[in-house]
Amino acid sequence: MQFCLRRLVWLAITLWVVFTITFTLMRAVPGGPFDKEKSVPPEIRHNLERRYNLDKSPWQQYWLEMERIALHGDLGYCMNIGDYSVNTVVRQGLPISAALGVLALSFAVGLGLITGVVSAAYRGSAADVLLRLAATVGIALPSFVVAGICILLFVFVVPLFPAAGWGDWRQLVLPAFCLGAPYAAEVARISRTSMLDALSHDYIRTAQAKGVPPVRVLLVHGLRNALLPVVSFLGPAAAGVLTGSLVVEQIFAIPGLGTYFVTAALLRDWTVSMGVVLVYTLVLYTLNFLVDLSYAFLDPRVKLE
Amino acid sequence: MAAARRSLFPWIAAIGVVFAIGWAVQGTHLAPADFTFCNGTEVKSLDPLIVTGQPENNMVNALFEGLIRWDPHTLQPTPGVAESWEISDDRRTYTYHIRESARWSDGSPVTADDFRYALRRILDPRTAGQYAYQAWYVKNARRYNGGGRAVRPGDLVEVELNLPPDAINTLRGEVLRGKLVRIEGADGKPMEGDALAVAVKDESIKLESWTFVVDLDGRERAFCYLDDAPASRTTPPGGVRWCRQVLLDFREVGVEVIDPHTLRHTLENPTPFFLTLLGFYPLFPVNGRCVEKFGSPQWTYPENIVCNGPFVPLFRRIRDRTRLVKNDRYWDHDNVRLSTVDVLAVESVTTALNLYLTGKSDWNYDVPAPALKRLLHADPPRTDINPFPLLNTYFYMVNTTRKPLDDVRVRRALSLALDRKEITEGFLGCGERIAYSLTPPGLPGYDPPQCAPENLAEARRLLAEAGYPEGRGFPTFTILYNTHETHQAIAQLIRKQWQRGLGITVRSRNEEFVTSLSSQRQLNYDISRRGWVGDYPDPNTFLDMYVTGGEQNNTGWGRPEYDRLIAAAAEEADPVARFKLLADAERMLMDELPIIPIYFYVSKNLVKPYVRGFYNNMQDAHHVRAIWIDREGTTPSPFSRVQP
Repeated sequence: MQFCLRRLVWLAITLWVVFTITFTLMRAVPGGPFDKEKSVPPEIRHNLERRYNLDKSPWQQYWLEMERIALHGDLGYCMNIGDYSVNTVVRQGLPISAALGVLALSFAVGLGLITGVVSAAYRGSAADVLLRLAATVGIALPSFVVAGICILLFVFVVPLFPAAGWGDWRQLVLPAFCLGAPYAAEVARISRTSMLDALSHDYIRTAQAKGVPPVRVLLVHGLRNALLPVVSFLGPAAAGVLTGSLVVEQIFAIPGLGTYFVTAALLRDWTVSMGVVLVYTLVLYTLNFLVDLSYAFLDPRVKLE
Repeated sequence: MAAARRSLFPWIAAIGVVFAIGWAVQGTHLAPADFTFCNGTEVKSLDPLIVTGQPENNMVNALFEGLIRWDPHTLQPTPGVAESWEISDDRRTYTYHIRESARWSDGSPVTADDFRYALRRILDPRTAGQYAYQAWYVKNARRYNGGGRAVRPGDLVEVELNLPPDAINTLRGEVLRGKLVRIEGADGKPMEGDALAVAVKDESIKLESWTFVVDLDGRERAFCYLDDAPASRTTPPGGVRWCRQVLLDFREVGVEVIDPHTLRHTLENPTPFFLTLLGFYPLFPVNGRCVEKFGSPQWTYPENIVCNGPFVPLFRRIRDRTRLVKNDRYWDHDNVRLSTVDVLAVESVTTALNLYLTGKSDWNYDVPAPALKRLLHADPPRTDINPFPLLNTYFYMVNTTRKPLDDVRVRRALSLALDRKEITEGFLGCGERIAYSLTPPGLPGYDPPQCAPENLAEARRLLAEAGYPEGRGFPTFTILYNTHETHQAIAQLIRKQWQRGLGITVRSRNEEFVTSLSSQRQLNYDISRRGWVGDYPDPNTFLDMYVTGGEQNNTGWGRPEYDRLIAAAAEEADPVARFKLLADAERMLMDELPIIPIYFYVSKNLVKPYVRGFYNNMQDAHHVRAIWIDREGTTPSPFSRVQP
């Protein structure tokens, strides 16, 4: 309980620090939200700025914005898509990013664990070398290359999946695969190493000596102990999947939040940038918290404090 | 931690994962629309008075209609909401007759008041419409739009009082009308004449510090600007009332409702392209009852919006798609043949191309350059692609405040040393045309004056004359371009051409788009890449940028004679004489070269062979209302360059 409370206080502090840094950085970069190719007459510009409190001093803006976000949970109106509040954008985009993230991660963990365990069980065999090679390639290849190859193969050569879009499960398969591939490779490497470590312990030999079936030795005695590093990796992996989905979202035209994370900054859409950064901070903090919490369930040696 | 609970954990986690995956893959099935097109980035709004930009143009044109509409083929103004109109002999008064059958999507008639309401709304400084200046051709519109900075003592003004801070944001406060007596500055002293003229231009002065004294029915009353929220909390100093804003009396603006179906505009100047402009969304009507009931932007949500165009929005998913359905109350609904349209928001042009190639999109208006080249030269020739010259110019602007670029001989030498053909044919290769003028050719009646074509010997001679024989002693300068593959490649080509031809050292640097705009505005560059898209089919849209100190000038160049020509052209009623004045101005621009034209863009439409009612035109304006589908191919396609 105390652990949760302390985490909550730290969350508030983290959000505040992130807010302050984002606020300062956005205003330090040259160019403002209303710098368009066709420049705006001063009167109109002034009115646009007033709508977003930009006519006030930076200090006033800072306090007003903090008050609005902290007290009302209101992230303001988008500067670029003026029709929508940032809250609506997040409400529409976050579930999509989350769905994509869940699939990508399940795929990463599923495939990663299987290859990791197989690699470890047949250590040194041709299968092991091949899988490890695949994992290295998976980590090294950027997602746009994977996406390009996938589209070429599964959209144009063998038309199995649609090229892009959102709404149908078939439209999810390729983007989730491309997004998850580097993490699958990472999981495979981690699980192989920790599996090898677990298998070298005395209790494994004892189990084998007792005549426990090899599969059971591997999956119950070995895997259960090898799982912890994989779980720790889930926190950073979730962060990577959420914030790194820009390329995959653009290539597959998926209306998730990942794109805003980058484009809003490029367009100087200050409200959206702020909103997305804060929402991501909140989500990632929560995920890391859940990972920490799960240690206590997975490993009897861990105590929450 | 009890062992029992711990042993439950894997099961709970497993169930959680299964549910999460189940939730993630549950889809929403959507039947394809009759016509689907990729519309670039997500539109910023559906409110015609607020938006700017190409995707918005396509969307808003499907939802609203102005007094006139453009013929989809020739772009000539044809009757829209107005079934007919009269133009006075001095070409300053336009009277329109609004058709009885024009209806809003809620069934109410479209009236002259709706147009007056929309014009006032876009001109209201509080609306912050970025395209408000498109309405400035109407008499006094610019002054109304200028708000408190544009009124002068003696003007008839309207004072808008504050509303409670939680009032719907599109409502106006109570309006008091009177005559402006004087404006007092922050020090309480009246400001007049030149002092006032200087003060209103100084953006560091806040209007809130001024006091506007207005004569209301013989009594002088003082007003100060304050936003609604602080105005509801604070009592003003003695004798002063808070107000939202002080504007020129809207009755002074040249728009008049004669009866519900007759509207009259009085213009500032005879504006030959005004009729065309009426088909452009900043001058579209909006439904005031809807706007004021829901407020902005909520009134544009599909469940609230009331529009008068061929389609209405059914739903809108941000950065995914907006589905439009046919508006049965549109006056010309018999000629709208599509019943559903999907407008896709696809940011990546490559993705859009994939969607098009897999049959998920029927029209793309942008294609990645390398793909375009391949599609264009495919064998057998494709029927679905046909690049067309546009009213868009690609040029370099020169910072004429920096040495040695302030010397016209240097600028001419730079232009003469350019091999534009290497750029258009060697690199671009999609039918782009070489530009020797700022205004693209093809505007009826206007033959743009040109700068001299490539001539290396002459370029070297001019450079030597300017004091840099064979480029010796010429300072290094930098080409600035906004980050983009095409701009980068062109900058490299030009850099090499100048280095090779003139013996000068040129560097290039890129800045991300918004940063480059701000550099241009602050004249923080030597030579910078720029593109300009004509807003309306008239040379003025290009030429009036370069008046001294113009918003878009950004070159530091200015000539009183040029300003005079542009101003005289604005007042000239005779179209031939007007084009002569504009041509004289462009001649001057092409002699002095504060900008160096490079090439004219071409359109990049990909249109499925079964699409009909789609035509190439120089503004790349395509109206969904005219489009229909002919899958059997019984009629010829007006778009295709090769007939199957």
